Amino acid sequence: MTLNFKNVYIKNAYTLLGRNEYVEGIKADESLNDYYLDEKCFEMGEVDYQVKTLNGLLKKEKLKEKDIDVLIGGDLQNQLFATYYANRKFDISSLGVYSACASFNEGLIFASSLLENQKVNNVIVTVSSHNLASEKQFRFPIEYGALKKKVCTFTSTGSVSALVTNKKTNIKIESSTIGKVTDIGYSDANNMGACMAPSAAKTIYEHLKETNRTPDYYDLILTGDLGIYGIKILQEYLEKEYKLKINEIKDAGVMLFNKESGRSIAGGSGPLCLPLILFTKILKEKYKKILLVGTGSLHSKLSTNINESIPSVSHAVSLEVNYDLH
Amino acid sequence: MKLKEYEKLVDKHSKKENKLLNFFISFLFGGIIGVLGELFVVFLEKKFYLPLSEAYMYLMIFLVVFGSILTGTGYFDKVVSFAKAGLIVPTTGFAHTMTSCAMDHAEEGPVKGIGSNIFKMTGCVILYGLVSAFFLALLKGVIK
Repeated sequence: MTLNFKNVYIKNAYTLLGRNEYVEGIKADESLNDYYLDEKCFEMGEVDYQVKTLNGLLKKEKLKEKDIDVLIGGDLQNQLFATYYANRKFDISSLGVYSACASFNEGLIFASSLLENQKVNNVIVTVSSHNLASEKQFRFPIEYGALKKKVCTFTSTGSVSALVTNKKTNIKIESSTIGKVTDIGYSDANNMGACMAPSAAKTIYEHLKETNRTPDYYDLILTGDLGIYGIKILQEYLEKEYKLKINEIKDAGVMLFNKESGRSIAGGSGPLCLPLILFTKILKEKYKKILLVGTGSLHSKLSTNINESIPSVSHAVSLEVNYDLH
Repeated sequence: MKLKEYEKLVDKHSKKENKLLNFFISFLFGGIIGVLGELFVVFLEKKFYLPLSEAYMYLMIFLVVFGSILTGTGYFDKVVSFAKAGLIVPTTGFAHTMTSCAMDHAEEGPVKGIGSNIFKMTGCVILYGLVSAFFLALLKGVIK
């Protein structure tokens, strides 16, 4: 399902890096290096990240709460704890979204669709993730020294807010493809890149087919958090299954975590990866046509315990950036 | 693409652990713990004139306390990352799992947090330990 948007733009974004473990060369608006932020537990720390980014974005854009029509938020915690507990501090209509690490793209799609409505002028999309919170929820207790496989990714910590508006700016949201939940039966929850590659491939293929474009149309295809090995799997899978050969493809998770960081991890993960890399790196490298492919693995502790395979979903958002307009 | 074909594709691109090396490291570290434990037992027997069964009991208590303290101070997971299963399989692993579960939920209070979560992962060890002990004792009785 591909939607075209006429009048939707990203105005600005506020990036916050909660903890810079293994992260190199990222210049976020705010870098805290603290998991707790003086809160009782780190789950509340993630709430504070979201509050800080929302306040930061409002301050950066000199906007007041009444200027924002809708807040859309997503995170990885149960019942979207971080999103809703952060949004209680703001007097703004609020929506929560969950599609794991594709939450940012889902948020952008919702925001863009809302903005087609004349009543809505400004929407803020916020996502956050927290390494300890997702380790505790999806894997083992934090202090438990379970050995990580080499294909395992490391959940990034922090939060990003983006202001989406219907007034013209230099970053245009041109179209988006809502992905289908894909499951080919793969079930290793440690190898998330392999879980998500089929859905990423399907969404890319469908987006290109429905817009009648070739892969060359895009200067860059940026996937969310497939990792070093996942991106290779995706490339070969695309070639074998859909006869698509794509060279200009990069992964935000790989760009977030440096290979020489000393620990054998396959890259970063979490809904934070994609927007953080987009706003701190990609938009500074003068790519004009960018396809963002957020990839989300939809497993839970229950699904692993009952030996179910892992479905995944990917949403694509196409951006057109005009660097002359400033 | 069929699952089998996909798994092959994944295997081709994924980096794997060196199983033989890990096996050797685990054997080495597990063995070291075993030797130290045996020395501790001999020490208790010779110095404190404890009977063998009681000496083993004290060794167990020592290992659990030692594992828990190392977990609480945050060293255990770092040691495990190079000692591998050598530290997880002995009683130190039991203590480590128990303490890490309790630490995860410490903020939720002593009853709902620590109390109901401390045996979340190790509960199965206790339950099936008891069940198998019961049946083994029964078997012993029958044979005698």
